[in-house]
Amino acid sequence: MAMADEMETRLRGAFTPTRLEIVNESAHHAGHAGDDGSGESHWRVVLAAPELEGMSRLQRHRAVHAALGPEVMGRIHALALDLS
Amino acid sequence: MTAQDQIKTTIDANDVVLFMKGTKSMPQCGFSSRVAGVLNFMGVDFADVNVLEDEGVRQGIKDFSDWPTIPQLYVKGEFVGGCDIITEMTLSGELDQLFETKGITFSKDAADKIREANG
Repeated sequence: MAMADEMETRLRGAFTPTRLEIVNESAHHAGHAGDDGSGESHWRVVLAAPELEGMSRLQRHRAVHAALGPEVMGRIHALALDLS
Repeated sequence: MTAQDQIKTTIDANDVVLFMKGTKSMPQCGFSSRVAGVLNFMGVDFADVNVLEDEGVRQGIKDFSDWPTIPQLYVKGEFVGGCDIITEMTLSGELDQLFETKGITFSKDAADKIREANG
């Protein structure tokens, strides 16, 4: 499964998003440290979900890291998160 | 000394510590560069730890706070966050509040300038 699809499946499995954007920003970082040539190294996720309400910033980020799981987190180089 | 002991010692010995890729004068990653830039601009006295120089620390700091990415900012021994969180807290004024609460010296004028430029 392509990385974006896998991320979306995992996030929709853990949250009920009212907004979900998964943006591949790898092209902006081509040739930079962390570019592994896969074209799937740098990501931005914009997620709004009721499950995140009432959480601290750290808790929100941790919840997304957990939802994506160590396998996805281990394969990507960078993950920018905009959570609400 | 294990990497975990080394990290704990550094965090205990310095009020503000940034674990980053590169150094505060020569960052080697855009995300590390952004956080170091904010702290530098705000005139915060902080210790920088270049994780690229020590593979044990590079992995160890991820385990230390169960946080998968670098940079990581610590204030008075407490993990505050990475690049996204520090950026959000800078723009919202929460970082100012944290520094005030913890007794960390910084330039409020400089923080306001960052907010004006990104408002």
